[in-house]
Amino acid sequence: MIEFKNLSYSIDSTAILKDIDFRIADNEFVAIIGPNGAGKSTLIKLLLALLEPSSGEILIDAIPNHKWLKMNSIGYLPQKEIYDRHFPATALDIVLMGLAASLPLGKRFRQAHRNIAEAALEQCGVLKHRNSLIGTLSGGEFQRVLLARAIVSGSHYLILDEPEAGIDQKGVEGFFTILKDLHVAGKTIITISHDLHTLSKYCSFLVCLNVTLHCHSKTELLNSEVIHKTFGDTIQLVDKHY
Amino acid sequence: MIYSFVIFALSGAILSGICLALFSPFVTLRKISYMGEALSHIAFAGIALAILSGLNLQITTTIFVVFISLMIGILSRKFKLEEANTITIFLSVSMALGITLISIKRSYVFDLSSYLFGNVLFISKGDLISLSILMFLNAGFIWLFFKELFYLTYNQEIARVYRIKTDLANYLFLILLAVNIVINLKITGIILVTAQLILPATIAFRINKRLIPAIIISILTAVLSAAGGFYLSWIFNVPTGAAIVLFEFVLYLLSLLLFKS
Repeated sequence: MIEFKNLSYSIDSTAILKDIDFRIADNEFVAIIGPNGAGKSTLIKLLLALLEPSSGEILIDAIPNHKWLKMNSIGYLPQKEIYDRHFPATALDIVLMGLAASLPLGKRFRQAHRNIAEAALEQCGVLKHRNSLIGTLSGGEFQRVLLARAIVSGSHYLILDEPEAGIDQKGVEGFFTILKDLHVAGKTIITISHDLHTLSKYCSFLVCLNVTLHCHSKTELLNSEVIHKTFGDTIQLVDKHY
Repeated sequence: MIYSFVIFALSGAILSGICLALFSPFVTLRKISYMGEALSHIAFAGIALAILSGLNLQITTTIFVVFISLMIGILSRKFKLEEANTITIFLSVSMALGITLISIKRSYVFDLSSYLFGNVLFISKGDLISLSILMFLNAGFIWLFFKELFYLTYNQEIARVYRIKTDLANYLFLILLAVNIVINLKITGIILVTAQLILPATIAFRINKRLIPAIIISILTAVLSAAGGFYLSWIFNVPTGAAIVLFEFVLYLLSLLLFKS
C-alpha cells in the first residue's frame, strides 16, 4: 500500500502540490490525471524520492519511501527518459538495468539474467529488437523496452509517467493491454495519463490532481463535474469510438 | 645505455596513452571531455600551492585536484547545478589562485612549455612505475565497476531509481580521473592529456558502436599514436607530445573518412 500523508511541495514560494492526502491499495490500476502543471510528475518524483517534500510524507508498505526504496526495487517508466541516441546500449542492456542492483560489484550478467530480460522483452512485444542499439528504435518500441525494464525489476509496484507519449493510438491500446495483464497478474500500477478514454477502459482507480487533490475514487464514480473541476473549463468530454 | 632514456620515454608515452584511453570512452559518452583540460588548469593552482608551501609537488597537486573534482561532483548534485558550469567556475578560480600564488613567490620562474607539453624525455623509472600502477588501477576500476559505470553514463537519475551504486562509482571515477590527469600532466603536458581523453574514444566509436570493443580500440589507438608520434618526433626533431597529438589527429581524420557515423 502507498500512502501520501499531507504532502506538499513548493519551489520558492510557489506551491506545486498542496496537502495531498490519499492512499493506494495493493493491486489497484491507478491513473493520475490533471492538466499540464498540475504536479503529476512531481508527485511521482516525490514517491521515487527523487525530490524531497516540503512537508508531509510518503509511506510504501508502511515504511517511509526513501527507506523502502533503499531496500526494494521499483519499476519506473519516466515521462521522457533523457539519453544519448548514440549511447552504445542495446535494448537488452537497457532491460538488464532493472536487474543490475541484484548483482554485487564486479559480477557480470549471466545467461539466467538475459533469459529474464528476454522474457520481459517478449511480453512487451519487442524481443526481436533485443540486440538493436537504442538509437535505432522508434519512440513506441523504446517505451516498450522501458516497460520491460520496469517489469524485470520484480517490483510489486509499476510507476509510469505518461507512457503513451509518442505512441499512436493503436500502440497505446497495445501498451495498456500489457499493463492490464500485469495488473491481473497482481501488480499495483500507477500511471499518469492524458488519455481519459483509454484510462476509463483499463484503470480501476482515478486520482484527479491540480496542485490539490480533486478526487481519488474508483473510476466508475468519476463524472464530468469532477473532470471539469480538475481541468478547468478548458476540457470538453467527447465519446470516441475506435 | 645512451638509448635507455628513449626506451623510458616511449614506454612512458605508451603507458600514459593506455591510462587515459581506458577512461576516454566514459569521458566522451558523459560529454565531459573538457574535464581533462579543466582539471589540468585546476592542477595549476595545486602546483602553485606546492611551490609556495615547499611540499611535495606531485602529492600536493594530486590532493588538490582530487579535492576540487569531488567538490565539483558534490556541489553540482547538492545544489542541482550544471556540472559544466561548476567546472568552468572552479577552472577560472583555480587559474586565478595559481597566478596569485606564483606571483607571491617572485623568485620562481614558471616553465609554460613544460606545463603545456610535458617532457617525455625526462621520464624516470619512478614515473614508469607510477604509470604502470595507475594503468592497473584504472583497468581494475573499470572491470569492477563496469555495469555501474555503464548505467551511470547512460542516465544517473534512472540508475539511482534502479538502486545501482552510481554515487560510489561516480566519486571513484572523479578521483581516478583527477589522479590520472595530475600524473600524466607532469609527463605529457596539458595538450596531450586533453587529446588522449577525447580522440581515442571518438575514433573508436566511429569504428565500433559497442562499449567494450570501443575501450579496446581506444587503447590500440592511444598506443599506435604514442609510438607513431614518438617516431615522428625522433625523425623530425619536434616536441614528442605535439607529434603524438598530430599523429592521433591524422587517425581521427582517417576514421571520419573510412567509417560511417
